[in-house]
Amino acid sequence: MTTAADPVSAARARLTPGAQAALVTVLVGCVCLLLGPNLPWLTAWPAAWTAPATQWVGVGAEWFLNAIKPAARGFSEVLRFPMDWANFVLGATPWPLLVGGATALGWAIGGVRMAMLGFAGLSFVLASGYWAQSMNTLALVAVSVPLALLLGGAIGILANEFTRIRGAVQAMLDVMQTVPTFAYLTPLLLLFGFGPVVGLIASAIYAAPPMARNVMLGLERVDAEIKEAAVMSGGTRLQQLFQVEIPSAASQIMVGVNQCLMAALSMVIIAAVIGGFDDIGWEVLLTMRKAQFGQSLLAGLVIVAFAVIIDRMSAALALERRRYDPRVAYSLIGLAVVFTVVFWSHLPDPATFTLLDPLAAAVDHGLGAFTADNGARLDAIKNGAMFYGLLPLKIGLDDAVLDFTWGFQWTAAMSLALYALALVAGLLLALRERLTGGLLLVIAVGMLETGIANLPWPFVLTATAALAWVAQGRGFAAIATGLLLTILLSGLFERALLSLYLSGAAVFACALVGGCIGLLCAVSPLAWRIMRPICDMLQTIPLFVFLIPVLMFFQIGEFSAFLAICLYAVVPMIRYTRHGLISTPGEMIEAATASGATTWQTMRDVRAPYAAPTILLGLNQTILYAFAMLVIAALIGTTGLGQSIYLALGQADVGLGLSAGASMAVLALIADRLVQGFAEERRRALGL
Amino acid sequence: MSSDTAPAITCRHVWQVFGPDSEPALAQALAQSGGDAAAAAVALRDKGLIPAVQDATFEVAEGELFVIMGLSGSGKSTLVRCISHLLDPTGGEIRIHGEDIVTASKQRLIELRRNKLGMVFQHFGLFPHMTVAQNVAYPLRVQGVKQAARRAKAQTVIDLVGLSGREDTYPRELSGGQRQRVGIARSLVADCEVWFLDEPFSALDPLIRRQLQDEFLQIRANLNTTIVFITHDINEALKLADRIAIMRDGRIVQIGTPTEIVLNPVDDYVREFAKDVARGRHARVASVMHSGDGGGHVRGPDDPGLRRNMTLDAALAKCMDLYEPVPVWDDSGMCVGTVHPAELAAALQVDEA
Repeated sequence: MTTAADPVSAARARLTPGAQAALVTVLVGCVCLLLGPNLPWLTAWPAAWTAPATQWVGVGAEWFLNAIKPAARGFSEVLRFPMDWANFVLGATPWPLLVGGATALGWAIGGVRMAMLGFAGLSFVLASGYWAQSMNTLALVAVSVPLALLLGGAIGILANEFTRIRGAVQAMLDVMQTVPTFAYLTPLLLLFGFGPVVGLIASAIYAAPPMARNVMLGLERVDAEIKEAAVMSGGTRLQQLFQVEIPSAASQIMVGVNQCLMAALSMVIIAAVIGGFDDIGWEVLLTMRKAQFGQSLLAGLVIVAFAVIIDRMSAALALERRRYDPRVAYSLIGLAVVFTVVFWSHLPDPATFTLLDPLAAAVDHGLGAFTADNGARLDAIKNGAMFYGLLPLKIGLDDAVLDFTWGFQWTAAMSLALYALALVAGLLLALRERLTGGLLLVIAVGMLETGIANLPWPFVLTATAALAWVAQGRGFAAIATGLLLTILLSGLFERALLSLYLSGAAVFACALVGGCIGLLCAVSPLAWRIMRPICDMLQTIPLFVFLIPVLMFFQIGEFSAFLAICLYAVVPMIRYTRHGLISTPGEMIEAATASGATTWQTMRDVRAPYAAPTILLGLNQTILYAFAMLVIAALIGTTGLGQSIYLALGQADVGLGLSAGASMAVLALIADRLVQGFAEERRRALGL
Repeated sequence: MSSDTAPAITCRHVWQVFGPDSEPALAQALAQSGGDAAAAAVALRDKGLIPAVQDATFEVAEGELFVIMGLSGSGKSTLVRCISHLLDPTGGEIRIHGEDIVTASKQRLIELRRNKLGMVFQHFGLFPHMTVAQNVAYPLRVQGVKQAARRAKAQTVIDLVGLSGREDTYPRELSGGQRQRVGIARSLVADCEVWFLDEPFSALDPLIRRQLQDEFLQIRANLNTTIVFITHDINEALKLADRIAIMRDGRIVQIGTPTEIVLNPVDDYVREFAKDVARGRHARVASVMHSGDGGGHVRGPDDPGLRRNMTLDAALAKCMDLYEPVPVWDDSGMCVGTVHPAELAAALQVDEA
């Protein structure tokens, strides 16, 4: 009973873990703030303390890659056969046959709607004049997807069979999903040399995890009694697996196939940045660099057309139970054959199609006129967001508030006043039994004053460890600190903070905007009817294409990158918020209504708390999406890790590419686990 | 000992403990308690393990319909999964027709399931991607029986369960009762000798349940299988069973015929179950009569004609207006004892203790 007499442990017992964590963070922050001017190593990690880790990684990885290079080159030779073959088939087949084939396939899968989609989509591709480039892209997808399906399926089945490796496989899939797409490319480039095979293998590697995940999930979700019935029927393990479990999991596995296809397409297009295979992604990049936004948009729309066709058809395959009359499909193909034969000598080369070029020119012209007319307004938006939003977040109020932007100069007295204000407000909150809230307010003000990119490293480490401790316990706090330390040691910390700032700002904006839109969609069916196709579309479009519209209006720069990230990452926030808010059990709503609550009271008191875990999961997705897009956005001017990865790709610097990629993955993993931890805690609190 | 004199199923000290390293933990707990099952179970629980089945010992005779009854969580489904070896029991010995199935090889287990064992599941366990006929024929398919032969065999059991005409529909198109008929047909298609039914009718409406119970008894009358039937419904147990084992918290608390369970519950737990039961429909005259003292009785013209295996309800209806002991006859017409109508009436009373 000595502990009760000890005043320190008595005080600790009264503090919640959240308050304890916040208190420690505030104390460390204060120390850094006070001692920072005298001890420079507190604010910036001294260069002398960094290990040349990137070089080591580079040397090690290069040695390893060189060792397996002969095998890799052999493998690449083997892959060249199906690639060349697919290229030849798709390139040499007369276009009417392919258009007819896509239409027929659409019919067989989903009837008139899908047939129309196939026909319209491919006709658009044809009319755009990008037929040959599209077929090159498609050939890559056609070879990489079977590889990814086999790889992912095998991983999923093996993880299901051998429970002992399941945890390891899950962890590996997590990492594979968080390592940025560009980071895959550098080592592959070294292994396989320039050329389409790199894109092929990168997309196979990138597309395998969703397949593996869905196979695992599907097999796990097969009803226990169905598995037992297969056992009791006397099936061998292989019979159980292939005759019962896999067919029973078919619809989940088809979801995996759908995601696998989309990931492969996305990666093939991203892989275009290494150049050399004259595909549609390269076309987008080229026209974007030449600022031919009309053409760029056209090429981007071709990609979107492919994405939509592939996505909707494979999704229909997962859902559709009805079978459509195959005779119609055969007739469509027959028609295409007849058309090809009859017009054989008159078939124009698809490259000569320029039906849509006037449109592209018109877009260019219109855009030129628009930016000329509204240039000042667009600049005002951009500068306003930069000066009053992004810059203070990045470098802090004391550096960002300048005479020529804000109209006055930030002084030390203002800093003091701000801190004093925060302290008073924090104290008031603490006196009202909201100690944690008060402490968090002080922390937030401190971060705003200093700027995320200038945060002292002890503060970042402590804050992360404290959050990790609250979310997942001591073990995860140690892991998170250790991972951050590796970033510090490798000298990438400043860049990591820059990445953190941009993705943090984007996530914050997404949470705010997406949350509000989600709320609106939850209360108004009309709003959801409008937002739903937009969300579907935004989730179908490959990452790369997001860059085009923001570039068109806001040129290269951080703000454009910010917008592109927001556009892409806002979708999960909207979806999850709405889903969480509308999936409250009917009985709870009825109970609230019977108690006399108004719609908004029900929303605030019943639906929102119930939806909290779901919304947190949405936030988690938004964070991961933001990190994924951050790297792509490096193409249009961001600083930080994304830029390093992109530079490494250009210089074939494996060490930098891998280290920066790993740092990015570390940030994403920590953020992911933190939010998951909080969501899990909310779910437990609600007894879900 | 040859296998045909052995009981169909023998369970000796069967334990199923869930949790990490359950096998050494069980051995240690039993060693410490000196073989006392209750003490060992407490020790296991204290370690955070879950003793779902504790020291189950019983035999099921050839052709017997053995019902295991208990509330949810009492371990009855776990026990049946041990016997059918869907779960590997943590301790004890299980023999089917004398053959130890705990130590049987994987290959032998597959053979046993193909030739000897059949099982029906609570939620049917139908394969969603197969038609009714394919579902039913699946146990034959895994044995490599040719398509035509297995279709013909499947057809006979489909007819038996009254699903003729639905052969080519998918499970999702059937009602719950029809689905369970498919489950029953599938478990019978390979001519099993031991038939496990895990709460087969619990997920069904009361009306459909009664209908399927009756059909089940009919099917059973034409088969010569040994049956282990799991249920949480005392009335179902009493209606179907030759013998009933009642489980509570992983232990078997009483094994007996329906009459024994109703009239002589061993503890309050069983008594609680028996309370809900209309005793008159399950208890027989033999259980309340005074046997042997009817030697001098001659069957008179106004004799109500009580027989030993009559239910109490039926007996009471025949002698309601009599006030003295009534002779009880056996099937061959011999007087085997007497019973007083008041005793019959008293036996029907539910004792409120």
